[in-house]
Amino acid sequence: MFSFVAIDFLSKKYQNSINMKKIISLVFLLSAVGWVMADSGEPLTDSVRSFPIENYIFKADRNTDPSVDHSKFEVLQQPFENAHELTAACLSCHTERDKEIMATSHWKWEREEYIEGKGIVPLGKKNILNNFCIGVAGSEATCTRCHIGYGWKDKHFDFTEPTNIDCVVCHDNSGTYFKGKGMAGLPDPSVNLNVVAQSVGQPTTANCGVCHFWGGGGNNVKHGDLDVAMLDCSREVDIHMGRETEEMSCVDCHKTEKHQMAGRVYALSSENHDRVTCAQCHTDKPHKDQILNDHNLRVACQTCHIPVYAKANATKLWWDWSTAGRMDENGKPTHENDAYGNHNYLSIKGNFVYDDHVIPEYFWFNGLANHQLITDKIDTIPVQINSLYGSYRDKGALQASKEPSKIWPVKVHRGRQPYDTINMTLIQPKLWDKEKGKGAYWTDFDWDEACKKGMEYVGQPYSGAYGFVETEMYWPLNHQVSPADKALKCVDCHTRNKSRLASLTDFYLPGRDRNAFLDGFGLIAIIGAIIGVIGHTVLRRYLGRKCFFQEESKQ
Amino acid sequence: MERVYIYKGFERIWHWSQALIIGFLGLTGFEIHGSYSLLGFDFAVRWHTYAAWALVILIVFAIFWHFTTGEWRQYIPTTKMLKEQFMYYIGGIFNNAPHPTNKTVYNKFNPLQRMIYLGLKILVIPIIVTSGFLYLYFQYPKFGIEFQSLEPIALIHTFGAYILIAFVIAHVYLTTVTGVKSLSSIKAMIFGWEEMEEEEIKIVVEEEMEVALKIIRSKLDAGDERSAILDHALEEVEGKLGVQRETYFRDAISQSSAGYFCISKDGYYKEVNDAWIKLYKYDSRDEIIGKHYRLSRSEEDFKELEATVAKVLKGETINHGEVKRICKDGVEGYHTLTLSPVYIDDEISCFEGFIIDTTARYLAEREMMKKKLRLAERQQKKDDEKENN
Repeated sequence: MFSFVAIDFLSKKYQNSINMKKIISLVFLLSAVGWVMADSGEPLTDSVRSFPIENYIFKADRNTDPSVDHSKFEVLQQPFENAHELTAACLSCHTERDKEIMATSHWKWEREEYIEGKGIVPLGKKNILNNFCIGVAGSEATCTRCHIGYGWKDKHFDFTEPTNIDCVVCHDNSGTYFKGKGMAGLPDPSVNLNVVAQSVGQPTTANCGVCHFWGGGGNNVKHGDLDVAMLDCSREVDIHMGRETEEMSCVDCHKTEKHQMAGRVYALSSENHDRVTCAQCHTDKPHKDQILNDHNLRVACQTCHIPVYAKANATKLWWDWSTAGRMDENGKPTHENDAYGNHNYLSIKGNFVYDDHVIPEYFWFNGLANHQLITDKIDTIPVQINSLYGSYRDKGALQASKEPSKIWPVKVHRGRQPYDTINMTLIQPKLWDKEKGKGAYWTDFDWDEACKKGMEYVGQPYSGAYGFVETEMYWPLNHQVSPADKALKCVDCHTRNKSRLASLTDFYLPGRDRNAFLDGFGLIAIIGAIIGVIGHTVLRRYLGRKCFFQEESKQ
Repeated sequence: MERVYIYKGFERIWHWSQALIIGFLGLTGFEIHGSYSLLGFDFAVRWHTYAAWALVILIVFAIFWHFTTGEWRQYIPTTKMLKEQFMYYIGGIFNNAPHPTNKTVYNKFNPLQRMIYLGLKILVIPIIVTSGFLYLYFQYPKFGIEFQSLEPIALIHTFGAYILIAFVIAHVYLTTVTGVKSLSSIKAMIFGWEEMEEEEIKIVVEEEMEVALKIIRSKLDAGDERSAILDHALEEVEGKLGVQRETYFRDAISQSSAGYFCISKDGYYKEVNDAWIKLYKYDSRDEIIGKHYRLSRSEEDFKELEATVAKVLKGETINHGEVKRICKDGVEGYHTLTLSPVYIDDEISCFEGFIIDTTARYLAEREMMKKKLRLAERQQKKDDEKENN
């Protein structure tokens, strides 16, 4: 009555179709797995050649032979009466370079910067206040040991005189040149100017470092990532400058055109241009892992690649001017050191805290900064010397670069420094003078007099009442990049506890953040399901039959 | 204890690879969530992404499979018999027509399962996949579109994960409850064959028979030249179930909602099933066995049927269109009809066939026709009035 032939035929056909499906499914699964496997990137190595590099000449390919031998020029063999004559000799061949120099901020110690709400203001070492030695005004003769000129001892310095330029502080390659203490930028009398003149060349790390390492009165005091140790350091301290690696010098990154150095330090600037970036060599896609490259949209390279700073020598993290002035039992200025040999007290400067291998603090930063000018009223405590602008929500719509704010590693230098308790402004005290009795704090130890003299010098009012106020200053970190294997790992930030980004709470960070309500709900859902299962099992056992679900399934 | 083929090859591979991928996604996902530290955050992120893509590919294949095989209907309880149900409500219900959907119409899932799985397919999975894509690609201003915050996306994604975990717990538990033995459902999902009690198998076969008959009926309606309707129905059923036991079919027929009859070559009822008796509104089998089939036809219809029967007795199988029957109480009903000869010792001794009730459809169509005519008349009137004006 039933067609068995058809059944047989059908079951065969059916079996075949199962096999076909199985084969197709298997092929599909294997290809999916293969595709996934093929895409998983190799682990990163820190071999220079393993990631893209552009606009860079490798150490092996560098031509270090100078194109001229300056010792053969007669003009440099003449006896120099003073340093100004040396500069004249330089300019006799290198004409017009003086005009280039005079246009630089290295020369002017100020430049026009735009600050939102304050307009265009001249910002520079000439007039800015910081929370280290506070400011140069009134103490120029000692501070200008770091100026590329000769003779800036007060505000009457002639910025238009070409022979006031100090060429050799940057171009000396002999290593014998140095400026005298308190000599307003003139060389120490012991320096042989002919030796110096005949060995000039491109600036080396040592030339830059003499000021940029030693700023703030000691090695690595200010930046925390610029240290005299970088003249000869391991790859762990600085992967770029390390002796085992590329031994790069400052100007390899800080490219220069017409003596204008690329790069800017936010202690002195407020705008987002002329910056040196990692991407200029490393491209904007340096990682094989796309997820890491994507991070760079909101995370600066430095954040992961400078996991700690002050790796070779300690840097200053706290400077309390309010304790200055304590003398030893003989009434003489004194000093104390911490266990590692760093100053923690100087009578002329007060208390310090130094530390090494410091973990940076992290901030959103869009390249713009504010500055507490000497004319600005104090409206926050701690006073923000140079606050960095940026937030998670700042996607770059409001700034020239159109780039979103990124998370940056920052050295924050905190301290206490004098302010006018009535006018509510910071104070520029006079700190240094050659002689006692001129009101300089470092010679006379009288704050009131130093404040009065200093404020008078800069033409600002002083009420006669001073106090000490806490201040914070921000130094975005850029140097002492670590080897790739020392870079931050995902879990340094993406972790529930002790995330490096714990202080940045204006956004949701996977792995760090959670919604307690949702997690509570999830826990209840899971536990509820488990209790339901247990309860159902118990009821089934108790009632002796699978009554519940069987009833239902037969509907 | 017998075994019935329930889950097809693709379905099983799909189910288990999906289970594996979702499990892996859960493992890596909650590491990303910060719940624990197991595989390493970077590994978890990287492989969570790969697994997500694998799942998407699998979903695409599964969607294709569901639509090409019609399996998607398993998840949409209301569309399978929607039309019949609709007709029933607007027509048949008033004439005491049989209910068009049988609650035991074969399906893999009970109504609760259907609801839950459908919820997963159209709600939870899309939400989790969509939020996952947003999580991956719209947290940075990469495509010019960016969400102001990752937080809502991350929370929705996590919410979906919690729902899935709760589902998996209940799901795994319920598989151990429903089968003959606690592991038989899981075994069925692995090997395809489910162990069942005799009773259950009968129900399954019956349900499947009906569906098969209806599908073939509809193909015939659409003009497909197919004869041997019963054989085709059986092939379909066997193909689907892998059951090869004739007895089930006999039982299936006797309990089918399609009416079955067997009439001797001289025109007397030899056998009818319960459905047949119900359709003809008899009270018992005895009332009809031995009676001539003339009884249930009007005079003119009988003549036509007689001619058809003659053809069948010569060996043809006939698919008859809609015919009118006279029930025991004299009320008219409508059904479609198949007739095929039954051979005993190479000689046609009787003929058998199935009838599928179409009264509800017929009446509904008639109502529709009337309504159309009325509308046409009304329109005509309006037009006439316009012309007169």
